[in-house]
Amino acid sequence: MPMPTPKSPSLSTLPRINRWLLALVAATVLCLAVFAANNLLGDVRSGNAWGLSYGAAAAILVLISAAYGVRRRTMRLATRLGAGSARVWLPVHTLTGALFLLLVLMHSGFRLPEGWVTWGLWLLSFWTVASGLLGLALQRWIPRRLTSALTMEVHYDRIAELVEETRSRAEAVAGDCGETVRGFYERRLARGFGQPRWRWRFFLDAGGGVQNRLRELDFLARRLAPEERGRLEELRRLRVSKSEIDAHYTLQRALRLWLYLHLPASMVLLALLAVHLFTVFYY
Amino acid sequence: MKKKGQGQKGTFGELELPVSRRYLFPASRRPMLLLGALLGGAVLAFLLVDLFAAGGRFVSNGPLSSNHAAFGSDCGNCHFAAGRTVSNDKCSVCHEKFGDRLGVFTFAAHYLYRSDDFRRVVPSDRERPCFACHTEHEGRAAQITRVPDGECLRCHDFGSFNDRHPEFDFVAEALPDDAGLRFPHAHHVREVGKREGLEDVERACLYCHNAEPDGKGFAPLDFDRHCDACHLGATVATPALPIRQDDRLGVETVAAILDRGAPGSRWALFSNPREFRIRGDSLVKGPLHHRDPWIEENLRTLRRRLFTDAGLADLLAASPDAPADDLRRLYEEAVATLEAQVLELRGSPDADVQAELERIESALEGLRRRLDDPYAALDETRFMLALDQRNPELTDEEAAAIDSLAADLTAPCRQCHLVADATIARVQTGQRVLRRAEFDHRAHILQRRCLDCHRRIPIAEGAATAEKLAPEVDSAAIQNLPGIETCRECHTPALASQTCVTCHYFHPNKSHRSELLLYLDRGAG
Repeated sequence: MPMPTPKSPSLSTLPRINRWLLALVAATVLCLAVFAANNLLGDVRSGNAWGLSYGAAAAILVLISAAYGVRRRTMRLATRLGAGSARVWLPVHTLTGALFLLLVLMHSGFRLPEGWVTWGLWLLSFWTVASGLLGLALQRWIPRRLTSALTMEVHYDRIAELVEETRSRAEAVAGDCGETVRGFYERRLARGFGQPRWRWRFFLDAGGGVQNRLRELDFLARRLAPEERGRLEELRRLRVSKSEIDAHYTLQRALRLWLYLHLPASMVLLALLAVHLFTVFYY
Repeated sequence: MKKKGQGQKGTFGELELPVSRRYLFPASRRPMLLLGALLGGAVLAFLLVDLFAAGGRFVSNGPLSSNHAAFGSDCGNCHFAAGRTVSNDKCSVCHEKFGDRLGVFTFAAHYLYRSDDFRRVVPSDRERPCFACHTEHEGRAAQITRVPDGECLRCHDFGSFNDRHPEFDFVAEALPDDAGLRFPHAHHVREVGKREGLEDVERACLYCHNAEPDGKGFAPLDFDRHCDACHLGATVATPALPIRQDDRLGVETVAAILDRGAPGSRWALFSNPREFRIRGDSLVKGPLHHRDPWIEENLRTLRRRLFTDAGLADLLAASPDAPADDLRRLYEEAVATLEAQVLELRGSPDADVQAELERIESALEGLRRRLDDPYAALDETRFMLALDQRNPELTDEEAAAIDSLAADLTAPCRQCHLVADATIARVQTGQRVLRRAEFDHRAHILQRRCLDCHRRIPIAEGAATAEKLAPEVDSAAIQNLPGIETCRECHTPALASQTCVTCHYFHPNKSHRSELLLYLDRGAG
């Protein structure tokens, strides 16, 4: 029986994200080639025909990119209009946003801007695109980290409730313990159960260094009676869970706070763009 | 009694933490949107207030160039109070002082650049506003006169300088240098070098090619300054020339010229009789002066016999062979001759003559005004046609005799000058050759020596030998200028500037504009 021949890789077999990345790289190379050819013909300035063409293209791209935000907030309407799925919109948003920055640089001939508005546009373009790319990176990295390094999944909006549940259970267990364990709980563990904690360490280590603290419990367990040891083991499990909830809190919060860096800045960018277009066409 | 777990969705995790019984609504993002809207709205409001109420300092795309920095405090200085684009009228308020009445800055007027031909100034549908080429708001250091090539390439399909720029006309069409002189360069360089004890050949060039104060070009050639030291010394004289008597062809003596009362012959009253040696029927004039009036007058008399109607050319000291754009200069020279003749007649006691002079002076004043009008059409045929047809009543022998006498009369002149039709050829004293471009010698002399570029005539080699070079190799008619390839040795994208405006200007130059303003002051137009 003949062996089936393996399919050679083609564009259609590439993962979707790679196709968009390929499109971005191709568009970037094309833009830079056009700019290089343009530079041979003559100087590119924001005010001449070439510069204005790049500026107009940048404005169109940023509007397409901004339409993603509108689409997200008008889901019902978008669905009714058949405006496409988020799987398509997000890469388009990313692609047009990145190309927008390149075209802004081409618009100014890769020179620093001069006016207040143009400086604002320039800096906000960098900030918005950079924060967008940061968000994209976080969205691809954090979910993987949460599912691969932690044993449980937690809904972000339930974290406060679950922390409270964990704390009350821990206090109940500690209340049944003898003097030694209770004292240890009050001195070393109670603070950790108090509230959800943001720790930068979770970005590097999802365990958050909880094993160091557990070594104290192990040391104590060896000196306790068997019934006390069981309660201490319960406290140990509660402490590990609390640490995982904190990791969820930190990483999921980063996913939400990132948008504060991106969205308000992009709205100011659009306002400045409106002023810039007005002054260019009016004057 | 409820069973265990009833009413609960269950538990999760090792600790069996409870699963929520209700759907969890994600936290609202409205604060974030609100923050963005507030910031964007605040920025928008601030800029709109700045634009319409505070001069628009923050809305501006950038500071004005240093040329216009003084106007930057108020947008209304250029943009009008109600906004909108900067009109050409606004620019001409300062740049023309009188409004753009003559349209010096118009698209059509750019043909004036170096051509001086006002007939080409006609309305064009390619007219563009000033700001289209001179982009402002690009910072204090921006050079708004450095217009990008793209603006020129809209009409001129030349590509870049090192690609499709055409060869210079004098090379492409092998145009001769209309110097009007016999002038071997190498011989002169050798002689000047010997006289002045110069070791560097190029130092000799500077004895005639005197840089103008701005260092760009060279001052016009001048006999007294450049030639007199060696030419027309005290021993130079004409050959023996026959004196005109009745029907016999010959030259007129000073006394005969005075008797005839020829116009413009006052010089004869002050001539030195010792310079004229009469031997029988012939006369020798020596020493001679440059533009010797006796030779000029006799030459004019011979020319009148050759051509019955020499037209306005009769009022010129040399031939009317001038470039078309120098036609105005010919007219000015003719008018100056007439004015000098009128001045001489002012001494006449005859009342009729004085009355007639009033009328002539008035006519000349009108002519002067017309010459000051840059748009006035000048008839070049008034100079050109006159010398075309010889007197049909002259036999060939008579005409040949006149030509021969003119040649003898100008024998000392012909050492340097070309003479034909009893007329000395006009000398192109100006040393500017490029008509459509500017060349700044000062900017180039730091990089290259004279003979690195001016190498069509082998001056250095010729100066090193005792022999004169053949006229085909070294004469004033050879245009000793480099072709475009020489320029391209340095003007490449990697080395020196090669934009259109490096060499070409769009607008007529400033000196030309001042002449136009002078014309306006005189109330013409």
